[in-house]
Amino acid sequence: MSAKRSLHIEAKCNPDEVRRAAEIAEDFAQGEDWPLKVVFQVKLALEEVMMNVVSYAHEDGDNHQIDLDLVSDAEALTIEISDDGQPFDPLTDAPSPDLQASLEDRHVGGLGVHLVRTMMDEVHYRRERGRNLLTLVKLRDG
Amino acid sequence: MGIIIEWERRDGILVATLTGRIDGSNASEFQKTLEAGIDPGDYALILDFEQVSFISSAGLRVVLILAKKFNEPGKDFRICTLSDPARGVITMSGFDRIISVHESQTAAVDAVEKIRATRS
Repeated sequence: MSAKRSLHIEAKCNPDEVRRAAEIAEDFAQGEDWPLKVVFQVKLALEEVMMNVVSYAHEDGDNHQIDLDLVSDAEALTIEISDDGQPFDPLTDAPSPDLQASLEDRHVGGLGVHLVRTMMDEVHYRRERGRNLLTLVKLRDG
Repeated sequence: MGIIIEWERRDGILVATLTGRIDGSNASEFQKTLEAGIDPGDYALILDFEQVSFISSAGLRVVLILAKKFNEPGKDFRICTLSDPARGVITMSGFDRIISVHESQTAAVDAVEKIRATRS
């Protein structure tokens, strides 16, 4: 499990493709001996990040694609999610849910990014050559 | 659509047992199916998550919408028997603070009936 392995996945910008890509990533993490809890977290984080791209990045979603690059080694599982949609930094542009709010006041939405930040050890965003690049890191001893 | 809903209704208490996954690809259909399954006479809704293998924020959104719908005098909304994936997501979202969670369907139904008894 210490060997470095990587996987590239391409998905069209629609919910069914998001599910397919998340399931391929899930299989990859499982194959690299990550604990089941981490495997689930990775699948969920990817579902959340990619659905955000599908929902907000394009007006003509099906003509675009999302690229995933996964690298697993002895220390970490690193996932880079890249898309050519409008600039969107989920770390600053997405509203944070108010976890203390009552049921009445609780807003519907904003949960996806919160889940990703909670589950991952590191989340980084950068905009490069017209693309959004979001990097998720899960550490073996995180 | 990836999620199967089994209904059971008794004296205005509607129990929906969910089997499968709820994600961005089926959440809106899930919402429509659930809302269509609720009768005006149902004063309580219980969602059973024992067989839910995966739920994302898209699914949580539907749960919150329903919880809000039943958040009025004389109405009652509860969730029960959370699978590990469902429990993790519901805890991270803080939903366990605003929605009553029960360890079993029986416990959820009992809680609903107990509250109704004190009202009547």
